[in-house]
Amino acid sequence: MADVLFQKVRKAFGSAVAVKSLDLAIGSGEFVSLLGPSGCGKTTTLRMLAGLEFPTEGEIRIGDRVVNAVPPGQRDIAMVFQSYALYPHMSVAENIAYPLKKRGIGRAERDAKVASVAATLQLGALLDRKPRQLSGGQQQRVALGRALVRDPKVFLLDEPLSNLDAKLRAHMRAELIELHRKLGKTFIYVTHDQLEAMTMSDRVAVMHEGDLQQFGAPMQVYEKPANLFVAGFIGSPAMNLLAGVLEPSGSGLAFVRQGLRLAVGDGGQAGQKVTLGVRPEDIALGSGPFVATVRIVEPTGHETIVIADIGGQSAIVRVQPDTAYAVGSETPFAVRTSRLHAFDSVTGARLDLAFALPAS
Amino acid sequence: MKTIAGRIAFNLFAWTVVLVTAFPLIWMILTSVKPQFELFRIPPTFWPEQITFEHYVRLIYETPFLKYMRNSLILGFATTIVVVVVATLGAHSLVRFRYPGRERLAQMVLFTYLLPSVVLILPLYLMMVWLGIANTIFSLVIAYTTFALPYALWLLRSFMQGIPDDLEAAALVDGATRMEAFVDVILPQALPGIISTSLFTFILAWNEYLYALVLVNTDEARPLTTGVMSMLVSAFNIEWSLLMAASVMMSLPLIIIFAFLQTYLTRGFGAGGVKG
Repeated sequence: MADVLFQKVRKAFGSAVAVKSLDLAIGSGEFVSLLGPSGCGKTTTLRMLAGLEFPTEGEIRIGDRVVNAVPPGQRDIAMVFQSYALYPHMSVAENIAYPLKKRGIGRAERDAKVASVAATLQLGALLDRKPRQLSGGQQQRVALGRALVRDPKVFLLDEPLSNLDAKLRAHMRAELIELHRKLGKTFIYVTHDQLEAMTMSDRVAVMHEGDLQQFGAPMQVYEKPANLFVAGFIGSPAMNLLAGVLEPSGSGLAFVRQGLRLAVGDGGQAGQKVTLGVRPEDIALGSGPFVATVRIVEPTGHETIVIADIGGQSAIVRVQPDTAYAVGSETPFAVRTSRLHAFDSVTGARLDLAFALPAS
Repeated sequence: MKTIAGRIAFNLFAWTVVLVTAFPLIWMILTSVKPQFELFRIPPTFWPEQITFEHYVRLIYETPFLKYMRNSLILGFATTIVVVVVATLGAHSLVRFRYPGRERLAQMVLFTYLLPSVVLILPLYLMMVWLGIANTIFSLVIAYTTFALPYALWLLRSFMQGIPDDLEAAALVDGATRMEAFVDVILPQALPGIISTSLFTFILAWNEYLYALVLVNTDEARPLTTGVMSMLVSAFNIEWSLLMAASVMMSLPLIIIFAFLQTYLTRGFGAGGVKG
């Protein structure tokens, strides 16, 4: 059963529409990321779920209860803020105990729960400190502790790792995954970092300009992006998007653009403008029917990124670090036809086309 | 400021400024403890030859000074409480809630502050008469509130802008009501601003003269400023010794308050620059 349900939810601030018409069903115990560039509506969505913003239209349910008019404190949720939002004048223990206090839980029980959460998050030694005396990582733990102590139905996390340095972020990522596994509660995680979304989530909801673009498992979103936006957004380095057109060729069709010509199986119409999506790892340099010019070579150690010119457009290619490519040289290449993506250039929607290399 | 000579010059300069500023205060204290016959001696004495507290005794036992003092304290505290309560809630509303005309409202509030207070006296007086509260301390509380509130509102507004929205949101999610979030989280954060606003307001109410002169003309409601003047300064005579003793006693509460809270006051001056 769905634990969190958005039904035709729309949110406008004056004339600015933050969320257009969101339908989203999140299952019990799922770890779901809301992923998108800034301004895509993901934080507004989370804040509506928290009760900090109210939807202009539509219905939000948590469990089997419509929560549109329920104040934040009664929604059985806990939230971790990007800024941590620790109460500066309270000690760590008081911060963690605050939600319990507001629920009228007695002192003895409060102390016991705080102690148990502090033990889980290794905060025992810091309980008497004020937030400003803590490092970023420690503050993050306190913010988590304040959420954990309530034992809520749903955890909301708003870019909780974005203020940490890279190393600590990787560490906390692992801890969050572990925590989710241990608690078995629903986690809803807002991020603009696709690495976080891909590594931690059961499902990823990609948002753009207030619209849900795609909602699926990380690998599904990566391997079958629903449209041009998702294709360009997910993956680092980004997918190469090469615009072309479908032309009649023999008995069937062919995708044609400068420097590239691929036979197309079923689907598509002659004259249709199509954008071909090729992941950097799906271009094989060295042999093949096409020719690219090497522009830039960026060795990173475990792999090398080559930026090559394919028919007048730059394309990113991921290659093994053991091959050397001279800048300015021309090299033949092939594409893995089974892993190509095609999108309608006009609507941006994914097309199911099968490609084949031209007979050589 | 590296060389010793430079340091000495700087110190000399600083102490000169302090002395020039403090001299009237020192003179006031010295005069208040001189016997009457020493006051007008020529050449004047700086240190009193004989110290006496007779003026203080006279002031307290033979004049309505204590009544004025009581009125001033009531007036000061009442104005401060009204202004701070209204300004704190108002500033929070201006900072936190989105509603049409919010910025315009904040500007309009400041606009009243731009009018010379003399302009407002007559309308205010007529209003007080109409409300039937003319000649009371309460009428002065309302009058002072009209010109202390805009400033207090702006001062607290800039303080509250420095408090992150997330803190209040976190408190709401943690189960607090709006009022609880305000009391538990916003107020402690705004405390330095509230203290400096209180100080400004109290000083303003304590020192105000013009409104007190116009709006109130009974001893029952007169504060120190106008009371002392009407009691000791007449067209024919000024009771200098009593006036000085009264001035010392009028200054004491402010000096005590300043001594304890001056760090907050200076922080109040820097408000607006204090963010997050």
